[in-house]
Amino acid sequence: MTVSALTRPGERDRLTVKLTEIDWLFVLVLCLIAGAGSLMLFSIAGSSWTPWAAAHASRFGICVVILIALAMVDLRVWFALAYPIYGLGVLLLIAVELVGDIRLGAQRWLSIGSFSFQPSEVIKIGIVLALARLYHGVSAERARLSWWLFIPALMIAVPVLLVAHQPDLGTALLIAMTGGAIVVLAGLSWKIIATAVAGVLAVIPPYVIFGMHDYQRQRVLTFLDPESDPSGSGYHILQSMIALGSGGLLGKGYGLGSQSQLNFLPEKQTDFIFAALAEEFGFVGCASLLILYAAAIFMALRTSYLSHSHFGRLAAAGVTATFTLYVMINGLMVMGLAPVVGVPMPMLSYGGTVMLTVMIGFGLVQSVRVHRYSEVTSGKGSFV
Amino acid sequence: MTGPSIFFEEVNERQGVFHRRAVLLGAFAGLGLTAMGGRLAYLQLFQTQRYERLSTSNQFNFKLMPAPRGVIVDRNGAVLAANRPNFRLLVVRDKGTDTEATLKTLASFVPLDEVRQRRLLKDINSAPRRAPVSVMEDMTWEQFSAVSVRAPELTGVTADMGEVRVYPYGGAFAHVIGYVAKVNKDDITAAGPNADSILLHPGFRIGKQGVEKAFDLELRGRPGARKVEVDANGREVSHHGEGDIPPQPGAEIQLTLDVDVQNRALEVFGEESGGAVVMDCRTGDILCMTSAPSFDANRFVRGLTVADYRGLATFERKPLLDKCLSGLYPPGSTFKTMTALAILDAGIDPDIRVNCSGGMNFGGRYFHCHKRGGHGSQNLRDAIKNSCDTYFYTMSLRVGPDRIAIAARAFGLGQIYDIGIPGQKKGVVPDRAWKKRYFAKNEAQQPWWPGENLSYAIGQGYLQVNCLQLAVMTARLANGQRALNPRLVRSVGGKELPKGSDAPPLPFATEHIQYVRDGMAAVTEAGGTAFRASQLGLGDILMAGKTGTAQVRNYDKGGSRGQGGTWRLRDHGLFVAFAPIDAPRYAIAVVVQHGMGGSTAAAPRAREIMRTTLLKDPEIRARIEKPLPMPEMAPDPELDTVPQSTTIERTAAIPGGPA
Repeated sequence: MTVSALTRPGERDRLTVKLTEIDWLFVLVLCLIAGAGSLMLFSIAGSSWTPWAAAHASRFGICVVILIALAMVDLRVWFALAYPIYGLGVLLLIAVELVGDIRLGAQRWLSIGSFSFQPSEVIKIGIVLALARLYHGVSAERARLSWWLFIPALMIAVPVLLVAHQPDLGTALLIAMTGGAIVVLAGLSWKIIATAVAGVLAVIPPYVIFGMHDYQRQRVLTFLDPESDPSGSGYHILQSMIALGSGGLLGKGYGLGSQSQLNFLPEKQTDFIFAALAEEFGFVGCASLLILYAAAIFMALRTSYLSHSHFGRLAAAGVTATFTLYVMINGLMVMGLAPVVGVPMPMLSYGGTVMLTVMIGFGLVQSVRVHRYSEVTSGKGSFV
Repeated sequence: MTGPSIFFEEVNERQGVFHRRAVLLGAFAGLGLTAMGGRLAYLQLFQTQRYERLSTSNQFNFKLMPAPRGVIVDRNGAVLAANRPNFRLLVVRDKGTDTEATLKTLASFVPLDEVRQRRLLKDINSAPRRAPVSVMEDMTWEQFSAVSVRAPELTGVTADMGEVRVYPYGGAFAHVIGYVAKVNKDDITAAGPNADSILLHPGFRIGKQGVEKAFDLELRGRPGARKVEVDANGREVSHHGEGDIPPQPGAEIQLTLDVDVQNRALEVFGEESGGAVVMDCRTGDILCMTSAPSFDANRFVRGLTVADYRGLATFERKPLLDKCLSGLYPPGSTFKTMTALAILDAGIDPDIRVNCSGGMNFGGRYFHCHKRGGHGSQNLRDAIKNSCDTYFYTMSLRVGPDRIAIAARAFGLGQIYDIGIPGQKKGVVPDRAWKKRYFAKNEAQQPWWPGENLSYAIGQGYLQVNCLQLAVMTARLANGQRALNPRLVRSVGGKELPKGSDAPPLPFATEHIQYVRDGMAAVTEAGGTAFRASQLGLGDILMAGKTGTAQVRNYDKGGSRGQGGTWRLRDHGLFVAFAPIDAPRYAIAVVVQHGMGGSTAAAPRAREIMRTTLLKDPEIRARIEKPLPMPEMAPDPELDTVPQSTTIERTAAIPGGPA
C-alpha cells in the first residue's frame, strides 16, 4: 500500500488498513511484559500454572483482542462517549458508596449478579476521556489561566473524593494525578502549577496526621522509617528490599527465590511481583523489564504527538500518564522509596481489573494512532 | 452565536503547548525510570551482601536439637538412669490454626479425653506462638504412624521421636538419683536472665532431685542445632543435614553405689520405713543409700497425676522423703560408742565398774535402764555389750556434754557432707555453747543441766543425727585412722572426684578406738544385744555393731514404752555395724523408723545388707571360698564301697527308673 493510496478518501476507514495502522511493536512490548508476569506467576506458585500463571496469560490474551477491537473504534465515537462514560463512572462510584461490598475493610466492589468489579477502574478511563473532551473545545487562553478552571477541577475532585472515601487512597491519588497531568498537558499556567504543588505539599502533613485511617498513617510513617517496625508494617517493605537486594546482578535463578517461594514476600502475586522477579532474575532482569516499560511509555507518548486532534493528543497522553504513574508508584514502593499503597505493577501483577483497565486505555491510545488524521468535531465547530 | 470560537492560530498554539508539555511528561517518566534503575543498582549491586545475609537468615533457621542426657551408672557400670526413644505428638499455635478443632481430630487417633483436651488447649494458648507443645508422649508405633501419615492435613501437628529418661531400677535409686521432669516457670526464673534456650524446648526435662538435679548441667550436655529451611510461617520446608551442629552428649556419671546392695536394701525393708547407708571403711565410698518406702521415679518423668502425687505426699511413711539425708533421728544407744570414746578420752579407767540395778535416781527423777532388772556390775566393755544405760548415766556426769560433743563431731555427727546431692539435714550435736545459742532468747533455759548429761549419754535429748552421719561415724570407728568423708559420685564425665580417704587423722587414741570396736564386737557375740540378729553365716567373717532403740516421745507412766500402739509413736530401731571384725572393710547404719527395736528391726536388715555387700567383694569372697586345709592323704578303708552303695540307692529312689 502506498502513501498515495492512504490519502484516498475513505481508504483509512477500511478495517484492513486500520489493522496495519496499529502499533504492533507496542503490542509486542505489552506481550513481553505480560509474558514476564506469567513466567513469574508460574514460578512463585511453585512451578505451577495454577492458580495464577494460566489465568494471567489467558486474561491477557482476551485483553489483547479487546485492545485491537477498541483500536478499531472511531475516535469520534470515543469523543461522543467521553462524557457518558465519565458520568457512568461517577454514578457507579456513588452506587458503590451506597450498596457496595466491603472487602478487606474498604468499600470498593460492586456486584451485578455474579460479576463484581471496581467502579474506580471505569473512572480511570472516564476522567481521561472527559478531560480530553473538555479541553478539546477550550482555547489555549482559557486552558492557561482562567476562572473557568473550576470546571476541570470539579471534574477531578468529585471522583477523587468518592474513591478516597471508600477508602482507596492509592487509586484516588492515581486519578488525581492523571487528571492533573492532563490539565498540565493542556497548557495550565506555570504559576498555578507552582501554587497548586505548594498547596498540596502544605496540606500533606496535616492530612497524614488528622485525615488518614490508622493503617494508612502507619504505612506512611513506616515508609519514613522502615526499621521502626520490622515485623509489623515495616515488614512488607523490608522483605521486599531483601528480595530485591539478595537478587544481586543475575538473580538466584528461576524458581529459586527463597523470599518469594517461602512466602516471606507479602502479596507476592500482586503488589510485590516485581520484587519476586528481581530476586530470581537480578539486576539484569529488572533493568530489562524497566526498559520494556520505558519503551511502552515512549511509544504511547509518541502516539499522542502524531494525533491531529487535540482530543486524541490529550487522551493518549492521559492514558500514558496513568500507566507511567502505575509503574512509578509500584516500582518505588517495592524499592522502599514510596509508602505501601495497593497499586499493582501493570501487566506484570496478577489481577484482571487493572489489566483490563490498562488495556482498554491502550485500546484508546491505539485508536488515537489509527485515527490520527480523523477530524473530531466538537459541539462548537470542527477542527483538525 | 455562529462561527468558531477557537481559531486556527489557537489550534496551533494548543498543539505547541501540548508538545512542549508532553516532552516534560516524557522527561518525568524518563527521570522516574532512571531513578528506579539507580535504586535497583544500589540495592542489587552494592548492597547485595547485606541483603543476601538477611535473606539467608530468613530462609534458614537453626532448630535446637537436645543432647542425649548423660547416663548414670553404678560403681560396676550397671546403668541406673538411661534414655529410651519416645514418640511424641506436638502441636503449635499459629495464625489461622484452630487448636480446639485440631485436638478434637487428634482425639480420634490417640486417647485424649475432654479434660485433657481442655488442659492442653490452655497450655497451647499460653505457650509462645510457634513453640510446639507436647500433646502426648510415649505413643505406640501404631499411633505414631497414624498421626505421621495425616500430619500434612493437620496444620500445626507434628509427630517426632525424642528421648525420655528411664530408670531401670524404678524405686531403689529414686532418692539418690532423683528424677527429671518438665521444666516449669520457676526453673526458668531460677536459671536467670540468660537461661539456656533449651529449657523452652518441648519435652525437655530438667533434673528435679538428687543427682539429676545436682549434676543437671553436666548431664545435659550441649544441645546441637539442625539447619532447616523454613517458610515465612516458621514451618520446616526441608532439611539437608549440611550446616547441622551435632549435639554434645551429656557427661556420664558414675556413682559409688552398688546396684545389688541397693536393691537388696530396699527389699529387706519390705513395708517398713527407714534408711540404710553402707560405706567402704577404707575409701569412704557409699555403696548403698536406700530410703524406704520409695517411689517409681519413672512416673515423675511422665508427669504425675494430682491424685498420684497426693497419695505419695500424704502417705504416713513419707515415700518422698529421703530418710538417709533428710530424716533426723535421735541415735539412741548407737551413740554409746561416742560416749564411750569420750569416757576413755577423759582418762577414766574403762575397768571401773558401775552397778546397774535397773536405773538410777538423779535430780529427783528416776532414769530407767532398758533392762528393768538391771545388768549388775558393768565395766565399759560390758556396758557397750549389754547397752547398759545405768553405766553411761553414771559416767556421763563425770564426762560432761562438751567432751561427748567433741567425740561426736570428730566422728562426723552434726555435719553436712559434700556428697554432691542436696537435701542433707545437719542435725544437732549439743554442748554447753550450743544450748546457750539455741536458747538465746530464753536466758532461764541457757545453762546445761546435769540431768541432761544422762539422756545425752544414751543418744537422746537434743541430739539428732541422720542416717548418713551414723554411717560415717561407724566407718570412722572401723577405719580407726582417718576422719573418712563419704563419697557418692565417683566420676563425672570420666573425671574422678577426690576420694573420701584423703582426710585428716582422727584426733583420738588408736587404743581407745580399738576398745570401742572390741565393745561393738562383743555386742554381736553370744550374750550381746544383737547376737542372734547379726550372725552373717560367712564363716570367720564376723560383724561388729551397736544396737539402738530411740524413743520418739516421753513415755507416760505405765505406758507401752514405745513398743507398740500407734505407729508414729513407736520407738525407732537403729543399728550400726562394720565387718569383718578382724579387718574392717564395710560400715553400715540402718534406721527403721518406728521399728521398735534396734536388735529386732534394724540389726537383721543390716545383716542382710552387709552379707550382700561382703559377698560382692572379691577379697572377702576369696576368703570365704578358700578351701579348708585338707588332711594328709591316707588310705581310707571304706573308700571303695561307700560311693557304690550311694549310687544304687539314688537310682532306686527315682520313680520309673531302671529298678
